[in-house]
Amino acid sequence: MVAYANVSDIGSPPPRKRLVARIWSARLDYLFLVPGLIIFGAFIVWPLIASIYYSTLDWSGFSRNATYVGLANFRALLQDSYFLSALWRSFVFTLMTVPLQMLLGLVFAIVLNNKLLKFSTLFRALIFLPVVAPVAVIGIVWVLLLSPFNGPINGYLLDGHLVQRAIDFLGTPNLVMWSLAGIFVWKWTGITMIYWLAALQTVPDELYEAAKLDGIRMRQVVVHIVLPIIAPFAAVIALISAIWALNVFPLIQATTEGGPFFSSEVMEVFIFRNAFAPPSGQFPRLGYASAAGVLFGVAIMFLTILQALAVRRARARRGENGND
Amino acid sequence: MHKISYGGLSRRSFLQSTAALGVVALAGPALAQSADFGPAPKGLPPANGPVRWLDTGDQKGIFIKKYLTEFGKARDVKVVYDGLPWKQLNTVVPLGISNNSAPDTFNLPQTLEPAVAISEGWLQPFDDYIPDFENWKKAFPDGAFVEGINVFGGKTYGFTFSTNRRFENAVLFDQKMMNEAGYDKIGADQALTFSEMRDAAKKITKNSKGKAFGFIIGGSQVQRWGDVATMLAQRGGAPVGFRGLIEGLNLKTGEFAFDDDAYVAGVELLLGMRDDGSVFPGSLTIIAPQARSFITQGAAGMIIQGPWNIPIWEKKVPNWNFGVSPGPAPDKAAMENPVWVGQLPSSTNMMWLNAKAKNPAYVGDFDHWFGSMAGQIAYAEIGSCGDPAIFPEASKKADLSKRAHAMLAMAEKYVRISPNPFVRNPELGKVAAVYIAPTPTLSQTVQGLFAGQLKGVKETLKKLSDAQNKALDAAIAKAKSQGAKVSRNDFVFADWNPKTDFGPADYAKL
Repeated sequence: MVAYANVSDIGSPPPRKRLVARIWSARLDYLFLVPGLIIFGAFIVWPLIASIYYSTLDWSGFSRNATYVGLANFRALLQDSYFLSALWRSFVFTLMTVPLQMLLGLVFAIVLNNKLLKFSTLFRALIFLPVVAPVAVIGIVWVLLLSPFNGPINGYLLDGHLVQRAIDFLGTPNLVMWSLAGIFVWKWTGITMIYWLAALQTVPDELYEAAKLDGIRMRQVVVHIVLPIIAPFAAVIALISAIWALNVFPLIQATTEGGPFFSSEVMEVFIFRNAFAPPSGQFPRLGYASAAGVLFGVAIMFLTILQALAVRRARARRGENGND
Repeated sequence: MHKISYGGLSRRSFLQSTAALGVVALAGPALAQSADFGPAPKGLPPANGPVRWLDTGDQKGIFIKKYLTEFGKARDVKVVYDGLPWKQLNTVVPLGISNNSAPDTFNLPQTLEPAVAISEGWLQPFDDYIPDFENWKKAFPDGAFVEGINVFGGKTYGFTFSTNRRFENAVLFDQKMMNEAGYDKIGADQALTFSEMRDAAKKITKNSKGKAFGFIIGGSQVQRWGDVATMLAQRGGAPVGFRGLIEGLNLKTGEFAFDDDAYVAGVELLLGMRDDGSVFPGSLTIIAPQARSFITQGAAGMIIQGPWNIPIWEKKVPNWNFGVSPGPAPDKAAMENPVWVGQLPSSTNMMWLNAKAKNPAYVGDFDHWFGSMAGQIAYAEIGSCGDPAIFPEASKKADLSKRAHAMLAMAEKYVRISPNPFVRNPELGKVAAVYIAPTPTLSQTVQGLFAGQLKGVKETLKKLSDAQNKALDAAIAKAKSQGAKVSRNDFVFADWNPKTDFGPADYAKL
């Protein structure tokens, strides 16, 4: 916090108001924060705390009598091969989608950032359109597009003699995650492009003009001027994209529901199956599902910290640390 | 709590009026469209807000919405009807209970045993709210009210209006394609054998020249695989339970029997059709409603599905000629084998009364009409063969299509009520509460075999049997440690005659 000092006070630490007094003096600011804090508390903090608590229970969600089981759910999860596979699949899916999404988003952003390009606004809108379309609709449409029976994609492949028989993109275990990754990248590249476009706004126009006067080619401008300037944004964009990729539940639920035979079951689908869609004859396992959620959260947090450390280290190497 | 009765109207005159109403209902759809709920019962209190009803919609939703609205007008109360898919209902009801906003009457979430809901204080019995309760109850067919199913401790908690006696996994087929494949004699009186079904599927695929496939299944909806496999096993003579904890459990031995030859043959039929190229491509990624839609468009020749499709197809695609037949049997000798359901009243449609209902007397009043012959006939006109009325007479009297009547007759002929361990010992609800099904389940296993991720039908199904036997033993041990009086013997009905219904008299002999 900045303290305003009189000239006579220079050289001695500024007098600090007591905390209560400071809060009181900024009471209007705090008042405006209250609605946001209530919503944040109710929908973020409380569910987080409740999940941690539920993860220590043997509880179906129906009964009032939940049994405290300590870490038993966590121990059981670490021996559950379906949990480990789902966790692994979630991160593999992230690796399959994020780099491609970032690369495509960057290419689109650089091309569409060119003010001389005609209809760039229209192209931006078209690329962004899938982002605003509801996931459930996207899922159904893609199931139809990829259908091996009468889907147009298979139609083109067959008509062009590119394949001998129709491909079951979403029903073939070895292919399903790639198909879902393709749909995911198609849906979310638009938002990554917007992030990159925002980053590109930080490149001063003078640099482009100077490069133009010096007769530098566009490719060189991009490689030697633009990319180094916008590179720090990559970490943030990668992080946001990774979080999106880890939250892929609606798309998978609308297309494969985790099938066939778990081959597209990512972590959120695993959690949903245990919490709300147990097999016939079994009660839901809310405690178990909550424990899975907690472990998933911890894994994401761990990766985020690793990423933050990597970014900090990279900046330090470049001598940027402290000069931001 | 005082009992509700109809004031100013003797039981005889009331029955006469409801019988007359039945005749009126039969006279024609135009007349049958409005109901006479009779005079308000004596002692009916003023309504406390709207009467709220929540169920899973579908065909019955059309009926409830219409007649509950009429009932509201007759009694001058506001009514609110909500029909939600199971997935939503499964979460809405528990949330409503916990925050005191649950409707007056509702379906229970799918996986929740009624005994647990009662012990948790969610429900209250209907006994004091349905006028002339004992006589009203007597009019229902035998087996409609069963201790452990909808009666607990002698009190009636579950209101039942439809029967489970329906052929849930019949073969529905495109008549033209079937005729062209050379199976024009197949119908409600004659099922296919496994080899005939495979052959028919092959020929339908071949005849269509790539435009259609012999068989389709909504295989993204995992439960479909288990349902179909169990039906095929039952038709093969395996005396196994259908759905829930007892799915695939041999009720004569009390052991899971997924590796029974009948199960293996059923699964091999599905894999055989797949290997022949007779299964609709993409069956693993479509859900049942999509599969049902594809067959009406001529994309497939056969589907194993329920009778609920018949009224819908007859209405939506009236020019499509389709046939119905019982599920296939392994060979000619097995043609008369029945299929079993665990109880007569449909538990999925059963309505339960909220322990904190604001208008329980109005719910009882409406259910009183609904559970009369007049209400049942009105219901049968809409429930048809898909969700048949629990009064068989009502279905017979209702104005239904030929196919619907054939389907109902098929159910009467082939569907039998199996013994139900939960009726024998309601304490088994405590086993269900702690049972953890091993992964994969039957449905997931069959899907895995079909998708090619699992190999070896017999070995895989043996593994499944072993895993489920172990899981059941573990659940019994846990329930026992919590004080439940249960044993594995509760699942054994060695003297059961699978050809006949297992009724109250059989339970009494145990």
